[in-house]
Amino acid sequence: MNWMAFTPELTYVAMAAVFLGLSMAREDHRRDFHTALVFSAVGVGVSLASAGVTADLFAESYRVDLFSQVFKVLLACGFFLVVVLCNELSGVKRRLHPEFYLLLTTSTLALMLLVSSVHLLTIYVSLELSSYSLYVLVYLRKNRPRRESTVVHYFLIGASASAVMVFGIALLYGSTRTMYAVEMARVLPSVISQPAAAIGFVMTLAGFFFKLAVFPFHFWAPEVYEGAVNQLTTYIATASKAAAIALLVRLTALGDSSAALAQVLVVLSIVTMTVGNVSAIVQKDLKRLLAYSSVAHAGYVLIGILSMNPAGYAGAVFYSAALVTLKFTCFMVLVKVAADGANITVDELAGLHKRSPILALALMLSLFGLCGIPPTIGFIGKLLVFTAAVEKGYFTLVLIAMINVVISLYYYLLVLKAAYLTEPKAGLPPLPVSAGDRLLAGTLIVLIVGIGFYPDPVIQIARSAAAVLL
Amino acid sequence: MIVPYSHVLALAGIVFLMGMVCTVTRRNLIMILLGLEIMLNAGALALVGASLRWMSMDGQAMALFIIVVAAAEVSVGLALIVCVYRRTGSVDPNFTETAAPEKPSV
Repeated sequence: MNWMAFTPELTYVAMAAVFLGLSMAREDHRRDFHTALVFSAVGVGVSLASAGVTADLFAESYRVDLFSQVFKVLLACGFFLVVVLCNELSGVKRRLHPEFYLLLTTSTLALMLLVSSVHLLTIYVSLELSSYSLYVLVYLRKNRPRRESTVVHYFLIGASASAVMVFGIALLYGSTRTMYAVEMARVLPSVISQPAAAIGFVMTLAGFFFKLAVFPFHFWAPEVYEGAVNQLTTYIATASKAAAIALLVRLTALGDSSAALAQVLVVLSIVTMTVGNVSAIVQKDLKRLLAYSSVAHAGYVLIGILSMNPAGYAGAVFYSAALVTLKFTCFMVLVKVAADGANITVDELAGLHKRSPILALALMLSLFGLCGIPPTIGFIGKLLVFTAAVEKGYFTLVLIAMINVVISLYYYLLVLKAAYLTEPKAGLPPLPVSAGDRLLAGTLIVLIVGIGFYPDPVIQIARSAAAVLL
Repeated sequence: MIVPYSHVLALAGIVFLMGMVCTVTRRNLIMILLGLEIMLNAGALALVGASLRWMSMDGQAMALFIIVVAAAEVSVGLALIVCVYRRTGSVDPNFTETAAPEKPSV
């Protein structure tokens, strides 16, 4: 077996082992933070170094190719950035910091396994590993009223979804004789008329959609976003969304471009983005607003996936990279403004441009990016996805998506208005922004605008990643 | 195979429905967890039956994994229930109304 192909995952296994040890050692939250920072930086380096490796591991149930490696680099970067935000991890008790990092690491490991999985067993095991880590992570927040109810609902919904998925997988295996996703995509059309196969297919998909928070199974997401620590919400909104997109792209690309599947995805995409955008308008809590905006963005990504052409898949890959950058920038501002680890409402952003000009600028650019205003990375993402759909003749779909973009402009501008135009009630002191924070915010601003002007290198990477799928 | 596949499937289906009914109707977190386990076991049963039908080991391997994952699920779930019970004094999933005010924890 080619162990080199497995090094990014092994790095995170080692990191998890280190934090397991640290959780039993004396309490020292600075040491935990620095260890996590070093390990996650090494993780980014290792993922970059193994970007060109291709291999089929574990009886071909685990495929390492450019597509999976690009997403692994994205996940590693997302994880590193989230760890950077954990500098002031005030929402979690200090004694529990090593466990927080441990579970965050296992969750990242699981997402990395997920983007390489091509066998139902590996998909199932990695989905479960990632969810179990998240159940406990959500509970780690301190001083949060009703957190029991949040985490119990999350656990029960997630566990029921996985039970339904297991039974669906069993029915599918019983009718198709295989668990390899490629084989199954080939055999399934001939047996889908049997009730067992059809029921199994629906149950498996429903389980996936629950886990990945795709409409109509997204209703637990806002509660979890609101109840989790700000840093963890950042992680769920960036890294785990990117992995979900990767899994959907891979599974869709495995099946031959069937019209029926495309029709289902068209409906899902329209409903997802409309529900997300309309619900986001009425939200007061910034994290809930961003949660619904994530739901809406899942709808836009689906447009690229359902086009089922190389341009659409490349667009979806690019879009997920853009989403990670933009969402992370929003959440970075949120974490800095809510220094005591509490949730903040949109109104509490008032006067941000005076309290910290650079954070306000970063927030503005990331919101422009999420709306898709040029010249930002978000505009290029939308452009790629929408042109891919138009090539396949989905004019109405793109039109509806454009209307949705206009709706989303409304609530993004409300947030901007709070940050730039509203005067705070009491004179709030300037935010303490360290040199490292400035550097991070500056880098993100340069990325958002820079890739908006010169997107070609990233588009090339996305194209070659999508090319290996076909 | 002595027992036909359809019989195994019917049995697994009945067990799955029993688990689902238990999960949906019970108002006690431990019983709900039990229902979830029964649903998972129904899936494992169907996999073993399918494995015998096709004479391949994939289903058996998956069933073994399900047993391990179910054990992990129970340990996470029970730990959660114990924590919830300590803080709220209730194992009812709708404890939002009855929840005691948050005590400063140790």
